[in-house]
Amino acid sequence: MKVTLISIPVRDQEKALKFYTEKLGFLKKKDVPLEGGNRWLTLVSPEWQDGPELLLEPAPNHFEPCKVFQDALMEAGFPYTQFDVDNVDADYDRLIKLGVEFSVKPTKMGTVKFAVFNDTCGNNIQIVETL
Amino acid sequence: MTFYQTEIERIRKICYSNDSQIETVIATRNYIDNNYDKNLKLDFLSHIRFTSKYHLLRLFKRYYGQTPRQYLTDKRIEKSKDNLKNGMTVTETCFAVGFESLGSFSKLFKTKTGKSPSAFQKEQLSRSKLDLEF
Repeated sequence: MKVTLISIPVRDQEKALKFYTEKLGFLKKKDVPLEGGNRWLTLVSPEWQDGPELLLEPAPNHFEPCKVFQDALMEAGFPYTQFDVDNVDADYDRLIKLGVEFSVKPTKMGTVKFAVFNDTCGNNIQIVETL
Repeated sequence: MTFYQTEIERIRKICYSNDSQIETVIATRNYIDNNYDKNLKLDFLSHIRFTSKYHLLRLFKRYYGQTPRQYLTDKRIEKSKDNLKNGMTVTETCFAVGFESLGSFSKLFKTKTGKSPSAFQKEQLSRSKLDLEF
């Protein structure tokens, strides 16, 4: 078995696609039309295009418990998932300029530095630099 | 302050309050990052950090979740992939990232990536050629 996919619940796939590609810099890899306007939509890191894919999943719109869970995480400030970066401060500066809202500014914690931002699609996302 | 931030602060106090230990393991990791291509010995690492070899090993594992040796191996494999992608030969790659024997490099590379170094390189180079053709 291989780990190849990370799923993120989003309220609006098109909006998520724009945010994750235009602001965060991911690349679209697969876009398969499904029923009811839903899509199998995956992204990859530009520097690791054969790495794991990020699935932007419209689950909160179709499965109430997913929405409840997502809302609870957002409310408590918990990141839904996290991405590795080389330099948290640099990405923080870059994203702030693009209008991204952070709930946690770059913060050191032991052997990592991290920050948390709002992906505008229902999730807090954490970026982490290992020191 | 969100619940997440409160939790982070609580955990920081319990797990990450020893600044000198944290400084030691971060310096050790940086040292490995900058010298992965050399013949690194833990004795030397502990010597430059004024600590005992076994203490350093325990500290590193405690904060990074893997031993310095495991971290070094992962680093070398990651760098060897870059070198192979850039067209360096398998033998050159092996020594450029600090391995001392071609046999052990090839075996380790296959264990970690599922492919031999030459198969990996063939695949990468044909992939970039395909990109040009299509």
